[in-house]
Amino acid sequence: MRALRADLMLAVTVVIVAAIYLHTDAGLPTARIGDPLGPKAFPALVGGGLTLSAILLLLETWNKRRALADTRVDPHSPEAPKGDDKHLYLVMLAMVVWTAVYYFVFETVGYLLATPVFLFGLLSYFNPRKHLTNVLVAGGFTAVVYLLFSILLGVPLPAGPLPL
Amino acid sequence: MESLDGILHGLAVAATPTHLLYTLIGTFIGTMISHLPGIGPSAGIALLIPVTFGMDPSTALMMLAGIYYGCMYGGAVTAILLNTPGDAAAVMTVLDGYPLARSGKAASTLAIAAISSFIAGTMGVTALAFVAVPLASLALHFGPAEYFGLIFFALSTVSALTGDSLAKGLLATFIGLALATVGIDLQSGVPRFTFGIVELQDRVSFLVVVVGLFAIAEVSRMVEGTKAGTLHIVKVKGKLWFSKEEWRRAYPAIFRGAGVGFFCGAAPGLGGTVAAMLSYILEKKVSRTPERFGKGAIEGVAAPEAATNADTCGAFVHLLALGVPGSGATAVIMGAFIMYGIQPGPMLFTTHPDLVWGLIASMYLGNAMLLVLNLPLVGVLARILYVPPGILLCIILGIASAGVYSFNYNTFDLFMALGFGVLGYAFRKLDIPKAPLLFGLILGHTLEQSFRQALTISSGDVTVFFTHPISAFLLFCAALSIGGSIWAKRRPRTLLHAAEEQAAEV
Repeated sequence: MRALRADLMLAVTVVIVAAIYLHTDAGLPTARIGDPLGPKAFPALVGGGLTLSAILLLLETWNKRRALADTRVDPHSPEAPKGDDKHLYLVMLAMVVWTAVYYFVFETVGYLLATPVFLFGLLSYFNPRKHLTNVLVAGGFTAVVYLLFSILLGVPLPAGPLPL
Repeated sequence: MESLDGILHGLAVAATPTHLLYTLIGTFIGTMISHLPGIGPSAGIALLIPVTFGMDPSTALMMLAGIYYGCMYGGAVTAILLNTPGDAAAVMTVLDGYPLARSGKAASTLAIAAISSFIAGTMGVTALAFVAVPLASLALHFGPAEYFGLIFFALSTVSALTGDSLAKGLLATFIGLALATVGIDLQSGVPRFTFGIVELQDRVSFLVVVVGLFAIAEVSRMVEGTKAGTLHIVKVKGKLWFSKEEWRRAYPAIFRGAGVGFFCGAAPGLGGTVAAMLSYILEKKVSRTPERFGKGAIEGVAAPEAATNADTCGAFVHLLALGVPGSGATAVIMGAFIMYGIQPGPMLFTTHPDLVWGLIASMYLGNAMLLVLNLPLVGVLARILYVPPGILLCIILGIASAGVYSFNYNTFDLFMALGFGVLGYAFRKLDIPKAPLLFGLILGHTLEQSFRQALTISSGDVTVFFTHPISAFLLFCAALSIGGSIWAKRRPRTLLHAAEEQAAEV
């Protein structure tokens, strides 16, 4: 049942996104120089397709729900929410925020300073209590990647304030 | 005999020291990636594309292709020794591979898996060489209407055949197509859906999307994996070879598996997982002792391994002859082609014969390398499994970040990749297949251009798509695949579902 509710929410979200997409498309200028369709026609079809697939998803969800009702399964018993799930979502959210912070300072602080701190932070959580290994992995990885990209491949990574 | 000449010419290109070295590196990396749970060929190839900047395109493509088939080859090792498929296509190998390993036959099972992959891979490359040339010369006559039909067909099969739900497949395809419309419209110069962001004018970067969807999103799977229990690896004992009796059982399965695999690969969107499942079902059907399947039948390892490796070659047929990818990983390789400024498609055989034949021939050599690499190195490579997932996920995130930044030297790309990582996580949680999005994104531009050009030529007459025979035929096939998918899903329990359930139980 949880999966069905998620699908329902997905369908609604897609309809909203498709509406925004189609609205933006309608606001585009009609430039039809040497081209009978102009830039608006194709996105309009894509937006229509998005909406149609959301409707199809609603139909599928409806059918599944009926099938479930037919088999008379108690809707509450099979998928009890797991206590771990909430914790896991929080961990993911924290990871996304931590990664975003890393990307935010990527150029200003520089690759060589930001990366070991970013990796050490992650490692301290995912590989706990092994500080020496974590320091070595964070430092070693940064050095190897920097050398590989900047020197071997000639693809410079941002140095930041370091005089490199 | 154009194909034979081509192969010989290709062998001369592929056998130069640099090309041999990079083919070896590719196959080795592919094998390593296949041992990493969570990282599949698409993410692996995408992560290594930045490393190929500045390389000669043929060398780079030989390496990237090596990663792809190396990954398919190595997926069996974890399936047999660990009861965990190294990549999605190895799910069926688990069913009989692990029971065989538990009963003390790990060494001979690995050997059969390796030899099946080798034979099927070699047969697949040969079929690729002979099918691609006539297909490409046919495609040379394609106009915009035919191209529209072809891409429409590819998109409809990938929507209908990947995943359980047609609606979700279509949804992913249309999201991909919508992303493809972002940026400046080439014909009118109008910026579309850029919302004033300068970085978006140059379209959504395909590689950023791939790294986000496949590598960064897969990190989340590893986070979940850090909570899972410890892994039990079966020790490999004895000589890595098989008995006459095992070979007698396995070889017909290898040939049937290779056939099934190549056809699945040649159908756009069918992918290695379906190929493996179909070949497994076929073996069980033709076997005189079907009850042995699931308990340790060597045919149950040989057939799906052969199928996944032949499928890889089938997937290259489309890419090289028509410029339409045959699987998620070939879509990423197509992205690499475009990045090097080479448009894959029928012209490739005339404009870049060295590259295309060199690539095909390198697949022969790579297959042989894999056979030599895999058998003695199984024990060594399996050690990568001992790296704690906590460390592995940090390293993958680190490589992905450095890689994405180096595409354009732009932090905007990093945030986009992170956003697509979150989207990929949502896709996984909601059971939406990712491959159709890749297809939509990489083919969307050509789809729109051919659509508009066809209508410009016909002065806006929509019937042009139905009056051209090839285009009409392809659109009919597209309708057939969508209709077939709806019809198949009305039946409560198909063989494929039964196999899927069997795989899920393991």
